[in-house]
Amino acid sequence: MAVYKKTYRPYEGKLTPGWSRFLVIPRYAFTEFHGKRFLSLFFFASFIYPLICALIIYVQHNASALNLLGVQGQGARGLISINVTFFMNLLGWQSVLALFLASFVGPGQVSPDLANNALTLYLARPFSRVEYVLGKMSVLAILMSLMTWIPGLLCFALQGYLEGWQWMKDNARLASGMFFGAWLWILMLALLALALSAWVKWKPAAGGLMFGVFFVGSAFGAVINAVQRTTWGNIFNIGHLVGVVWVQLFEGSNRTTNGAVFFRATAGEELPLWTCWMALAALSLICLYMLARKIRGAEVVR
Amino acid sequence: MQPGEVQLWGRQIAAVLRLEMKKTFLSKRGWWIYCLAAGPVVVTLLHWLVMMRPRSGFNHHLGDDSIIFAGLFQLFYLRATIFFGCMGIFSNLFRGEMLEKTLHYYFLTPMRRELLVIGKYLAGLSVALVLFVGSTAAAFLTLARHFGAAWSDYLYHGPGMSQLGSYMLVAALGCVGYGAVFLMCGLFFRNPMIPAAVVFVWENLNPFLPALLKKISVIFYLRSLCPVEVPVPPPFSVMVIDADPTPAWLAVPGLLVLALILLAYTAMSARQTEINYGE
Amino acid sequence: MTETLISFANVSRFYGEVLGINNVNLTIPPGITSLVGPNGSGKTTLMNLMTGLIRPTQGEIKVLGIAPEHPEQLCKVVGYCAQFDSCPKGLTGYQFIYWFLRMHGLTAAECDRKTNAALERVSMTAAAGRPVGAYSKGMRQRVKLAQAIAHDPQVLVLDEPLNGLDPMARAETIALFREWGQNGRHVIVSSHILHEVDQISDQVILLSQGYVVAEGEIKGVRDEVKEQPMQILVRCNDPGGLAARLFQQDHMVEAKISRDRKGLLLRTTDADSFYLLLNKVILETGLEVESIAPADDDVNSVYQYLIGGEGGTV
Repeated sequence: MAVYKKTYRPYEGKLTPGWSRFLVIPRYAFTEFHGKRFLSLFFFASFIYPLICALIIYVQHNASALNLLGVQGQGARGLISINVTFFMNLLGWQSVLALFLASFVGPGQVSPDLANNALTLYLARPFSRVEYVLGKMSVLAILMSLMTWIPGLLCFALQGYLEGWQWMKDNARLASGMFFGAWLWILMLALLALALSAWVKWKPAAGGLMFGVFFVGSAFGAVINAVQRTTWGNIFNIGHLVGVVWVQLFEGSNRTTNGAVFFRATAGEELPLWTCWMALAALSLICLYMLARKIRGAEVVR
Repeated sequence: MQPGEVQLWGRQIAAVLRLEMKKTFLSKRGWWIYCLAAGPVVVTLLHWLVMMRPRSGFNHHLGDDSIIFAGLFQLFYLRATIFFGCMGIFSNLFRGEMLEKTLHYYFLTPMRRELLVIGKYLAGLSVALVLFVGSTAAAFLTLARHFGAAWSDYLYHGPGMSQLGSYMLVAALGCVGYGAVFLMCGLFFRNPMIPAAVVFVWENLNPFLPALLKKISVIFYLRSLCPVEVPVPPPFSVMVIDADPTPAWLAVPGLLVLALILLAYTAMSARQTEINYGE
Repeated sequence: MTETLISFANVSRFYGEVLGINNVNLTIPPGITSLVGPNGSGKTTLMNLMTGLIRPTQGEIKVLGIAPEHPEQLCKVVGYCAQFDSCPKGLTGYQFIYWFLRMHGLTAAECDRKTNAALERVSMTAAAGRPVGAYSKGMRQRVKLAQAIAHDPQVLVLDEPLNGLDPMARAETIALFREWGQNGRHVIVSSHILHEVDQISDQVILLSQGYVVAEGEIKGVRDEVKEQPMQILVRCNDPGGLAARLFQQDHMVEAKISRDRKGLLLRTTDADSFYLLLNKVILETGLEVESIAPADDDVNSVYQYLIGGEGGTV
């Protein structure tokens, strides 16, 4: 039997921390994202509305700007009120743009890996399925955070700076509502986008399915409401569910609005809050189940 | 054309049809299409079961249910179920094969490419017709069933059957028209969702378009054939531009001719299609 | 006569700016023809062109007198086992072959008979009832081969057909190719396994970077490579003496005596002169020659000479 001198030595140098390995995925995802002109333009264009909001806040507190507009004193406050409606509409508008972004970017996360048998390569490394999903979700979470709660909180901070510390204390709920409301939406979109992307394996179909889930779901809910003369059909309307939760997060029990733009529930037709949370939780569990079924190193066909 | 050639073509088309049924539609992979078709039927069935419970009376009239079905059909069936269902069925017929790298098996059979297109279209159409026309009929027949004799009277001695026939015809024409559109999109575009999105937006903007532009859509003719009109709710109603509805004798052949033209173009283009599975 | 040939006349194919094949002129007679070349040399492009899956940018192709633009005629006589390791989902091995046979317009009974015959030919009868998605790589390869031969084509085009096959299956498949080649059919095989190509091929086509570098019988191709001296191995009782006589000739380049002192590996630029000289030496000295054989008269050597180890053209 031949004996060879053992010259092989495993790598014994420094390793990156285990918790940070999943960040490899977003790093390369963003590199790819920057190469897509349409997506980059769309992403930057999504900051137009927050910029307009910031401008409105500034104008409200700038005497010379108000003089220029010919608006003085209390009339200035009535120009556009910086209140819960203002911040909810900001969140609502940005969240719809986030939906479009998730529909464009989300399907490209998992579908190509499944279609080209790349999961075997990922999972053959010391890299778990959880890290893989976290990595893919972080791509969407980072992008959507930049579009939603970050500009929202910056506008809040600007208003607080100009209005004073007391205003910030009195309206802290707006900040927490913006933050948690946005994260609720981000997590729902990210889970849905990844689950659909894993299920259909075809990027365009997953993108179409994202819109289908929202629009067909809400249409189906409207059918139930019309046929059954009820409001329980809204359980299939993800926008309605999130809208009801947002109203609670922003206003608590002192309701003054019907919700954010695109997420409004007709007065008197809202579902109970606990139902909305349960429905969103159920949807999340379904998405997690779909991911658990599909994110595997090898597909077993019996 | 040689004798026996037509029979050969028929056998080949039948083989494609049966293979598609076996591969996609009669398998677990097609479950979502069944859900899409079954959804409204389940809702109307539940409505019937709820209304059949012993109670003092109904809180609505037969006419209300007729209006509700008209809304359900025009706003849900036409714009969601049939549209998205046909998009999923037909755009997948060729694009799905390219994605799975199996289209070359079809191209390596001694079958004219035009016949392949026809066979695939017929496979998709037969499934779409059975599911969506069947679903329309089932939903219509169960929606007001709880009215008992009044409903039977409405159906057999009133306008019920004629309305049912109209809805089934519109659903069938929708499958024919959208099927041809999405089959073409699936063959021509790497990402058929983009033209599908364009078509979706165009079709939904139809009530607000000028009269001439209205006529360049499938849904305008389909709505003309619906027996009950559903008005656009406020505040959007102020933006609606009315146009003379197209008579049935023009709308039906017009849609069929449109579908035939699209199919013919797709079939001719299939002859030039090359196998290229790259991204 | 041309109806027994596959011909390429000035055929080029570009993928945008990337060259697939350029100015290819070929005629492929019946028998086993191997396409040999490094990755990206144009083998698959050539196969896709002759089966009609892609069209040439310029030039004309005829397969047994049929243009690939008429798949309804071409695909009756051509069977193609492509490189794609994919089969339609949701079908068993039997169904995969059966339903594509039905598209030939054959009756159900005839398709059933041919399907079973093809499955038996590739030893897949036992697994025919299982979904193709559940097959191993070798099983998928065999069922693809069965699908390509089921309709009994005159021309069989096979893109790396031995991939994933175990040794027994390889031997059976090679036997199938030999049988088909001997029956007067065209069997066109692309492979990287050069010693197998050597064993089975009647002719070889060498490709490199989209160009046909050489075509023909292996020995004929080797003879044309005049820049590379022929290597000949002679087993005899006096290799040293033979070498001394040979070095008196200008056409001798190199001679190596083997370790056992009974073999001489020589390189000569004129093999014919060497053989004449060898006869003379044998008669004059009574040299006992055990064997004489060309040492580089094979595809591997020709590949190295013409295409080179780096993959480029020498």
